[in-house]
Amino acid sequence: MAHILKNYDDDLSALKDSVVEMGTQALAAMEKAIKGLSTNDVELCYDVIDEDERIDQQEKKIDEQGMSILLRFNPVASDLRHVLSSINICRSLERIGDHAVNIAKRARKILKAGELEEVRLIDPLVLEARKIVSGALTAFSDVDEQLAHKVIEMDRAVDKIHKALSKSLSNKISGGAQPTESLLNVIFISRSLERIGDLAVNIAEDIVFITSAEDIRHT
Amino acid sequence: MTETSVTTDPAAAPSVASNEPIIAIDDLSFSYDLGKTNTLRNISLEIPAGKVTAFIGPSGCGKSTLLRCLNRMNDLVDTAKVTTGRISILGQDINAPDVEAIELRKHVGMVFQKYNPFPKSIYENVAYGLRVQGIKNKGILDQAVEESLQKAALWGEVKDRLDSSALGLSGGQQQRLCIARTIAVKPRIVLMDEPCSALDPIATARIEELIAELQEDFTIVIVTHNMQQATRVSDRTAFFYLGELIEYDETQIIFGNPSIKQTEDYVSGRFG
Repeated sequence: MAHILKNYDDDLSALKDSVVEMGTQALAAMEKAIKGLSTNDVELCYDVIDEDERIDQQEKKIDEQGMSILLRFNPVASDLRHVLSSINICRSLERIGDHAVNIAKRARKILKAGELEEVRLIDPLVLEARKIVSGALTAFSDVDEQLAHKVIEMDRAVDKIHKALSKSLSNKISGGAQPTESLLNVIFISRSLERIGDLAVNIAEDIVFITSAEDIRHT
Repeated sequence: MTETSVTTDPAAAPSVASNEPIIAIDDLSFSYDLGKTNTLRNISLEIPAGKVTAFIGPSGCGKSTLLRCLNRMNDLVDTAKVTTGRISILGQDINAPDVEAIELRKHVGMVFQKYNPFPKSIYENVAYGLRVQGIKNKGILDQAVEESLQKAALWGEVKDRLDSSALGLSGGQQQRLCIARTIAVKPRIVLMDEPCSALDPIATARIEELIAELQEDFTIVIVTHNMQQATRVSDRTAFFYLGELIEYDETQIIFGNPSIKQTEDYVSGRFG
């Protein structure tokens, strides 16, 4: 049911659109950084670093929109949870953007050092990270609590792959594989993807809070 | 008050531990037209002692009618009638034949939407209820007037002009004077029917602060159209719609995560 105040509905809807837009930007940044690495395209990596400013600005815009709604309409119940969670979610998205920048910077270094076969080892992790982030964004957009719970479950696979990959690469380094710095950079990229999975979980937890008012963090 | 009769001495009424029900409303239906139509339908709720309980809902939902049932103000309407159920205060059925409305109101005071001091001095307004009870001793009256005005957070502003007309006070001061007049007779329960609706934001804040302080000594039931006020001042909130109690719970739950969609729609401004 719509609010009596049309402006209130319009502002809540605009806030949601802004979060979805920021989510699209953060996911695109992650995809672009990975594509830069896998296609040896260093320009894509530079783009990710340059474009992070847009994501940061979107975070500030969402903060302003949220604060304006709190100030003007005194939201309660699910409206209040929607505003608070939107502000939380944009925090997670900003950090996903930062991890995309980290991936882009590491990718740039790897590409500069020359071709590295082990880069392909992160493909399964990229696949899972993509799934979990887009799952979280869809769950937010559709207000789908069931999907949010699935996203939380999906993080197990991300953690498992990251752990196995880190171990395998560490063993290679211990065994004298070269170049060490590039292999270490692949480990750091793997860690960024694992952290992106954690941030998608944070988003999913915020969605559960919106729909059921249940705070499932740290449980 | 006892199980069988209403005492005239509120201090002699049995004590109720904080949070235990002091008012129990059981399946109450109420009519203004001798039972042809029920304005309130099958209301059941328990109001805890020492807490602030807010009644909210759109105009015509029955919240003020229910409030007025609690001290039988509706007795003033000839065709008004409780059609089913009962209201017990301190264990006593307040509509029992042996309960006098005037006696009941010594335990259950009321503050109205529009402040209504008597055209008398500030002192006489507060002392009025005690004089009606037959108290003439000046020492007792002086003490009660000072105590009540202090509890109503008005003493500092009026102590040097107690003999001045109450009508010379500002609106906010007049409302606090009415609260002082109500609590001077030491009721157990104070009913407030939109006590701030005629006041500016500063005077409203003072009354809200006062409600928090009065909670230590009185059980307060407040009807308010201002939902932010309900969230600020009350411990529990009851939402009424078309004469029915839709939801009654802790205020944090009613405004944070109500169980019933109708409640959420109302508190979030989706209908009203």
